[in-house]
Amino acid sequence: MNIQKIPLRQIDLYDETFSVNFHPDLKILRSSISELGLIQPVLLRGKGETYQIISGFRRIAVLNELGISDVPSRVFNKDEKDELQLFSIALHENITTRGLNSVEKAIALYKLIYMFKVKPSLVIQNYLPLLDLEPNEKILNTYLSLAQMEEVVKDYVLREEVSRSNIRRLSNILPEERMALIPFLSSLKLGENHLRKILMLLEEISKRDRLKIGEILFRPEIQSILSQNEMTPSQKTERVKKLLLNIRYPRFSQLEKTFEERKRDLNLPPNISLHHQPFFEGKGLRIEFNFETIKDYQEIITFLSQMTDINEFQEMIKGT
Amino acid sequence: MDMFPFGIEKIYVDEKAQKDSVTQKVLSALSNIPAEIIQDKKSIIKKALSASNPLENGKRRLLITHFYGRMLKPCPGTSHHICCGYYVINTMTNCPMDCSYCVLQEYLDNPFLTLYSNWDDLFQEIKVFLAQKVFPLIRIGTGELSDSLALEPVFPISQVLIPFFAERGDSILELKTKSSNVGSILDLNHRERTVISWSLNPHRVIDEEEKGTASLKDRLNSAKRCQEKGYPLGFHFDPILYDEDWEQGYQETIHQLFKEIDPKRTIWVSLGGFRYPPKLKPIVEERFPETRIFLGELFPGRDSKFRYLREIRVEIYRKTVDWLKEIDPGLFVYLCMESKEVWERVFGWAPVNSRHLNFLFEERVRKFIK
Repeated sequence: MNIQKIPLRQIDLYDETFSVNFHPDLKILRSSISELGLIQPVLLRGKGETYQIISGFRRIAVLNELGISDVPSRVFNKDEKDELQLFSIALHENITTRGLNSVEKAIALYKLIYMFKVKPSLVIQNYLPLLDLEPNEKILNTYLSLAQMEEVVKDYVLREEVSRSNIRRLSNILPEERMALIPFLSSLKLGENHLRKILMLLEEISKRDRLKIGEILFRPEIQSILSQNEMTPSQKTERVKKLLLNIRYPRFSQLEKTFEERKRDLNLPPNISLHHQPFFEGKGLRIEFNFETIKDYQEIITFLSQMTDINEFQEMIKGT
Repeated sequence: MDMFPFGIEKIYVDEKAQKDSVTQKVLSALSNIPAEIIQDKKSIIKKALSASNPLENGKRRLLITHFYGRMLKPCPGTSHHICCGYYVINTMTNCPMDCSYCVLQEYLDNPFLTLYSNWDDLFQEIKVFLAQKVFPLIRIGTGELSDSLALEPVFPISQVLIPFFAERGDSILELKTKSSNVGSILDLNHRERTVISWSLNPHRVIDEEEKGTASLKDRLNSAKRCQEKGYPLGFHFDPILYDEDWEQGYQETIHQLFKEIDPKRTIWVSLGGFRYPPKLKPIVEERFPETRIFLGELFPGRDSKFRYLREIRVEIYRKTVDWLKEIDPGLFVYLCMESKEVWERVFGWAPVNSRHLNFLFEERVRKFIK
């Protein structure tokens, strides 16, 4: 196929049939084209008086920005290839040259099924491996759900590199709830685990109390944490998580609180710590201490032996 | 109640099981369903597991085959908890019903409704085992990896087990079910050596979380029919699901139960709070997005299974025991897979160990049966 110079004004910039772009970062491409011109010609298809872009949306956008009027192109005739073949070519070219981010993969899979009518089983078998994804239905459904999410959610997924399991959790949430959720999540510092935990807590509180997620987020105690400018996002995250845990597990939180209060009343020296069984499940308590000298050790032993006379301590043991 | 609430689309018959008389019975009872003789069940199971929705599809496919391992085993129980020294016979695996909380979803590596047709091997194994006299009285159940009576109309194993145990004085058979399929066992000569048990939950829980099972009313009607035929009855409130309506739900269920059933003909009642292994949750959340079973305060225990917070379990059991004892103080109530501490807090005492609990069962059985 020969390379032709096609006037940019003849290219339909609004036809995004074959595009999988999502908020592309054009900085590097712009500087490359400014310096060296277009190295790789774009792919177009003749469409009456105009041309349809098959591959090269980002390059053409930069050329347009830079005011370059002729675009080096390889041009397919109108009926030379069917739509699916052209989309496959576009996909291959993108994958081999720049790779696709997770939202772009989602868009590609969505278009294959809903625009180019490829059977889901064939998409799983042929296209998921092409996109470097495991060929199974769960993965396909995760990406299809991402493709249908709101722009701000897609932005968040890309920016925070949200994992597939968390994308699935986001997809279980109603669109208007998700929209309320994103500003909240963005104000915190959430890695993979924190995000999973926070989403799970919100989802379960919402289901249990039959509340919208927005209603939980707008509780004064959560808003008060979020509005504290002197706190770092990490500190806010810890506080919010603790608060959500208290709401989700009220009886466990009350047990913890009572235990901590009783422990405080014991006035333990800093080198002695007292612990209950995990989740208050088993009987008994556990004491840990550390020391550097024999004197430290003797003081600890004296203190521990005196603890047996303290009512609060006896109550704590009985309570286990 | 429909025996196959989700329908059966296909029957796979392992060529080794083809000539067994029970296989022929199943095929003739389900003659309208396509059957395929297979040589290699492993590859069919593997294929089914890798296809989409293996659990849903598995419930629509029957596999008739032989079981080559031990079919009679101690109930697996759970570590760090008191178990009751029960034995289980596995003549089937998987269940035509579809309870959201069912542990089989995570436990089984074969999604098909599987029937084992080598009954001669099974009865030989039972005889050898009973001859060992591990306990003076052995309790054996078939409801561990399936529902004991759900498939009885086509796979009549209970109709053979009941007369077998009727002849023995060293063992008791327990059939646990959520079905109402008792018609074929009513007139058997059981000599009170078979306990028919129902798992019970409030009707709201049955509607929401126990798809394809008999209604509470049908379960109680069937229990009443068995009582009229002299069968000892057992009832299992397990899993008890704790939510804001739990007290009303379980209290009403207990009253409904004993409106129909004579507590004096109830050999035992078990209580077990909802518990689950960690891997079950994602499976259930995907298959039953509306389920509310995980919304309680559930935490990992010493056996890694999640359970309600101990003080919640104690509250559940104390109240339920009170409601039961109000009906009849002589009811034999026990806790399933619970810790010693919880037993102590609920009853004021605890079995010393699993063997002790088994001894209490023996006493109960000896007093109960004529």
